[in-house]
Amino acid sequence: MLLAGKVALSLVGTAVAGVGLICSEGFVDVNVQTRGADPHHIHIAAPALVVPAALHFAAKRDLARSCHELKEWLPTVRVALDELRRVNDMAFVEVKQEGQHVLVKKQGGSIVVDVEDENDTVHISTPISTIQSSIEQIAAASSADQTQ
Amino acid sequence: MNTQTTGKSSKPVKTSLAVAALLALTIGLAALPATGAAAFAPTASIFNGTSAIAGNTERYLHVKVEDAENGESVNVNLPLSLAEKILPTVNHGDLHHGRVKVHDLDVDGVDLRAILDALRDAEDGEFVTVKQKDQEVHVAKSKNNLIVHCTENKDNAKRGQKVEVTVPMKVVDALMSTMKDNELDVVAAIHALAEAGDAVLVTVQDASQHVRVWVDSHSGSAE
Repeated sequence: MLLAGKVALSLVGTAVAGVGLICSEGFVDVNVQTRGADPHHIHIAAPALVVPAALHFAAKRDLARSCHELKEWLPTVRVALDELRRVNDMAFVEVKQEGQHVLVKKQGGSIVVDVEDENDTVHISTPISTIQSSIEQIAAASSADQTQ
Repeated sequence: MNTQTTGKSSKPVKTSLAVAALLALTIGLAALPATGAAAFAPTASIFNGTSAIAGNTERYLHVKVEDAENGESVNVNLPLSLAEKILPTVNHGDLHHGRVKVHDLDVDGVDLRAILDALRDAEDGEFVTVKQKDQEVHVAKSKNNLIVHCTENKDNAKRGQKVEVTVPMKVVDALMSTMKDNELDVVAAIHALAEAGDAVLVTVQDASQHVRVWVDSHSGSAE
């Protein structure tokens, strides 16, 4: 039974380590709610690590095409993301109109966008590290495409 | 005997599971702030020590636009260090390496460069006053600030617009430091602005709209 305990610890430890690794970059959280005659509610909370992993398997040519327009702004995006990671949690933009509210903020290492109007509520939260990883993947795909 | 054996050997299993559960709980808590859970925001700020230290000296540019007539408001908050780091990386149009190319500084025969040189050396006082039927413009220097006041009077006083611009001379100097190359050094101006202390830079007030641009050390837009 002592052996069983060790095996159990190994299994649970591996599982916990796996979960920890998957959760280490946080979660991408997308919550869309539409009201009115045909209401919908979509809520996706996926481990952020999945995004760069998925990009890794995306067609390099498609990524390179995406990067073409981004290329000029890559240094700016890189610096902006580095700085965004560094600054304190804060609201960057908030727009309030009758029946509408838009908020872009940094919260706990993520960029959060909340949009609410009479018909829809949208909440998107993405860890900055995930955006950085994704941008680097796209940039790498572009470089690889140019060398070919 | 069997009972004894089970009792002894189940202890490590329980301990293993307890350790694993504790580990899972710790990882779960650490991952929560990244999901944007507002309730755990304080936890995030406790762990985010670097940000807290950086926040002590951080200065923010705020823009607030309020339209009372339509019930609209726009708030923009930007850390000056963010702008200072990002602008040099932008090479687009007339903006290169944090400097804006100015094609013609001789506006309608007025040499801005000469005027600013004169202003820098001048004592405090009002330099320009333009009074027209429906408009007044005042340009002055006071306590090392360049101050511009414009008042527009329409049919009645309530419909008019009032604009007040206050810019520290250090910021003007930094902005104009590359004027010999027909360029405005925006990054240097932002750096000077960050060091200039709390200041209200621009206010625009008309019948329904109120615009305010200011710099302080608070990340929120509460005035």
